[in-house]
Amino acid sequence: MVFRSRVLAPAMTACAALLATSPVAAQEPKGTLVFAVDSLAAQTLDPILEQRPGNAVYQAAMYDSLVGFNIERGGIGPGVAESWTIADDGLAWTFKLRAGQKWHNGDPLTAHDVKFSLERVMSPASQAAAAASLRRSIKSIEVVDDLTVRVNTNGTQIGLPASLSRAVAPEGSIMPKAYIEKVGDEEFRKKPIGSGPWKFVRNVPGDRIEFEAVDHAHWRGRPKFKNLHVLLVPEEATRVAMARTGEAGIAAITPETIEGVVKAGLEVLTVPGTTAPVFQFWGTWREGSKDSPLAKKRVRQALSLALDRKQIIQHVMAGKAAMPRPFSTFSFTDSLSVDRWKTWSEENFRYDPELAKKILAEEGYPNGFELKFANTALPGTQFMVAVGTAMVDMWTKIGIKVTVKHYEWGAFSPLVRGDQPHLTGWASMYRTVGRPDAPWRYNAAFSPDSGERLFGDKDNCGEVCTKFVELYSGVINERDPKKRTELNDAMVEHVANQWMSIPIIEGMGYYAINAKKVGQFAAIAGRHELGDVFERVPHPDQSPWKK
Amino acid sequence: MGRFIVRRLLHGLVLLFMVATVVFVLGRLTGNPVDLMLPEDATAEDRTRLIKSLGLDGPMHTQFLVFIGNALQGDLGTSIRMRQPAVDLFFSRLPNTLVIIPWAILLAMVVGIPLGVVAALNRGNMLDRGAGTIAVLGIATPNFWLGIVLIFVFSVELGWLPSGRMGGPEHYVLPVITLGTFLTAGFMRLTRSSMLDVLESEFVKLARIKGLSETVVIWKHCLRNAMIPLLTLWGVFVGNLITGAIVTETVFAWPGVGRLTYEAVIYRDFPLLQAVIILKSILILSINLLVDILYAYVDPRIRLS
Repeated sequence: MVFRSRVLAPAMTACAALLATSPVAAQEPKGTLVFAVDSLAAQTLDPILEQRPGNAVYQAAMYDSLVGFNIERGGIGPGVAESWTIADDGLAWTFKLRAGQKWHNGDPLTAHDVKFSLERVMSPASQAAAAASLRRSIKSIEVVDDLTVRVNTNGTQIGLPASLSRAVAPEGSIMPKAYIEKVGDEEFRKKPIGSGPWKFVRNVPGDRIEFEAVDHAHWRGRPKFKNLHVLLVPEEATRVAMARTGEAGIAAITPETIEGVVKAGLEVLTVPGTTAPVFQFWGTWREGSKDSPLAKKRVRQALSLALDRKQIIQHVMAGKAAMPRPFSTFSFTDSLSVDRWKTWSEENFRYDPELAKKILAEEGYPNGFELKFANTALPGTQFMVAVGTAMVDMWTKIGIKVTVKHYEWGAFSPLVRGDQPHLTGWASMYRTVGRPDAPWRYNAAFSPDSGERLFGDKDNCGEVCTKFVELYSGVINERDPKKRTELNDAMVEHVANQWMSIPIIEGMGYYAINAKKVGQFAAIAGRHELGDVFERVPHPDQSPWKK
Repeated sequence: MGRFIVRRLLHGLVLLFMVATVVFVLGRLTGNPVDLMLPEDATAEDRTRLIKSLGLDGPMHTQFLVFIGNALQGDLGTSIRMRQPAVDLFFSRLPNTLVIIPWAILLAMVVGIPLGVVAALNRGNMLDRGAGTIAVLGIATPNFWLGIVLIFVFSVELGWLPSGRMGGPEHYVLPVITLGTFLTAGFMRLTRSSMLDVLESEFVKLARIKGLSETVVIWKHCLRNAMIPLLTLWGVFVGNLITGAIVTETVFAWPGVGRLTYEAVIYRDFPLLQAVIILKSILILSINLLVDILYAYVDPRIRLS
């Protein structure tokens, strides 16, 4: 079985042909692309010391990932590896690398680099969030030849390629074996080399990272700008000012700023499907909660029907958000009947307060009930608090008496651990992020051994919980794409019908663009950060990329 | 004088220990950095491993004792986020902060002191009230707001100056004004009140009786004596500038220790936060000690008491 993008491969070939013949391709990179961002995270160029956001913001410019993106649709696609196959017994993945790749010092990129990189990510020195997970999944790594690497797994690991794609995680970043072994870790961190379309120039802690375009063709595309400066500007008003004055061509912004940015004459770039805030119900299966209104799924559905999502999109998100799809699914979700679920969502996430009230009355709450609601926002999506506040107003309108408690994320997060005594019987805000592989997030929310365990724990796994375990297990072990899609659909349906973790809107990433400094371009769906897009950003006088 | 210095040093050490304790405890009350570092699907095993690797697995008192023991050897820990020694990070950013502070002080002296003298000489009239209004505004205006307004006016609307970041001389103007405004107002108020005291002194009357020109009396004899209280305030204000630079450096994307403090708080980088606050405290205590010594030197009453 070969996993290969049916859309991307011909599209990339066409793009390559177009670029080779167009006047733009003949132009040498020129000028400086300046990007102002609110955080550079650890600001290190060593992939094993950085987490996902930092990797996606700036490391992605200079490093390639073993598995890459489906640029057009979002989700995973070819990267350093152009194809990957699973063994007949399901216990190994073989990655075939594209030929002709090289490091910034001119050395060829080979399967030895891939083996070295994965082992380095899994080493004790690694700070990678998924290092432990990879150690559990990967048994050994073999170099078959210079362009082929085989990863032997502990059991069937159907999601391994996705977890090595930058669409999902940073752990697939490929690092130069010979160079690191020659100069050592410390020197590598000072003078890193990668294989991406941008090479490292300078890292000024707390201020900026500078890159320069490589002087050869690259499979991700040759940069249009000669230099790339990623500036750390924590204050949003300053970032917007820099975009207005032209000191930055692109500036990261939040939904709260969009209106002002548009009035100031800047353009707004939106990145679809980067996150989906949800509200969910904790510990409804526990002894103390079984008599709670929230233990009834029709009551939970009524709370969803009471939400006017279009109003939230219009007034809280300045019109720059979308109606959601089922829990942790997006237009680019792999192995899913996305059109079916789009239709389902339009019907089921509608605003129908009358039906909501009718359901409450039928369930024995004609005068509503008291709802305890924890309002919080995860890092990077502060707008969730405003969304939660709007929801409270909407619930109040159908007679629900809401007690709201606002939590800073650092205070809320510990409540999820242990027996969740402070959350049981509560509803709260939560979030899923735009990843193409739905099962990982379903596991984190609904498996009995997960942190959230919304359907039950190991000792209290009832009918709904057991059914979920069965479906999830089927999805992650199924190797046939068609059957996997069927199982994935069944798992999504099972969860959607429980109304336990309910999507509110599909959020987006936002950037202010100075059109005098950069031309038109699009981001990759589900990929909030722009680290994999910089090389495609044109000058204002050049053809737009994906207008 | 020697006993005075030793006593001051001992006071400083006690204060430093108190600061270290408070910072250590408060930092941990705000949550666990691991919660910000792990993705939503992290397992309990992932969490345990990360906590252990960051040295956050022991009881708090054990962590504190380890922290104090290491601190006595000059090791204030490693930044959780940047994986570098916290002391190195602090000293790599300190020059960026120190490079704007002298300009802010200079601004305060050049504007604040003459304004204070003029206000004192015109006590009660329009000039005094005008200077007083400026001083109140300077003290009451939040740095954050002032910085944003300055950027809006001088960068966005007029296009005269850059919005922020370190760079050539033009990059210093707005941060120095933002940082120096409070100081200017403080210098003005203190100079005015100090001058009013001095103007009533016997030696001023004597100087006038001796026929010295009013310019010499005011700007040489009066101002020199009025400067003594300013010396004390100078130490306090420099401390305020080092700590208060958090807001200014954040607004202007200035990579100094103020911004480093902000980042340490945002990312719950305990070791870095502890190191930054302790090192800032050492700086401020050293400046205050220096000022105390100078003050004792110029004013024997302090020394003898």
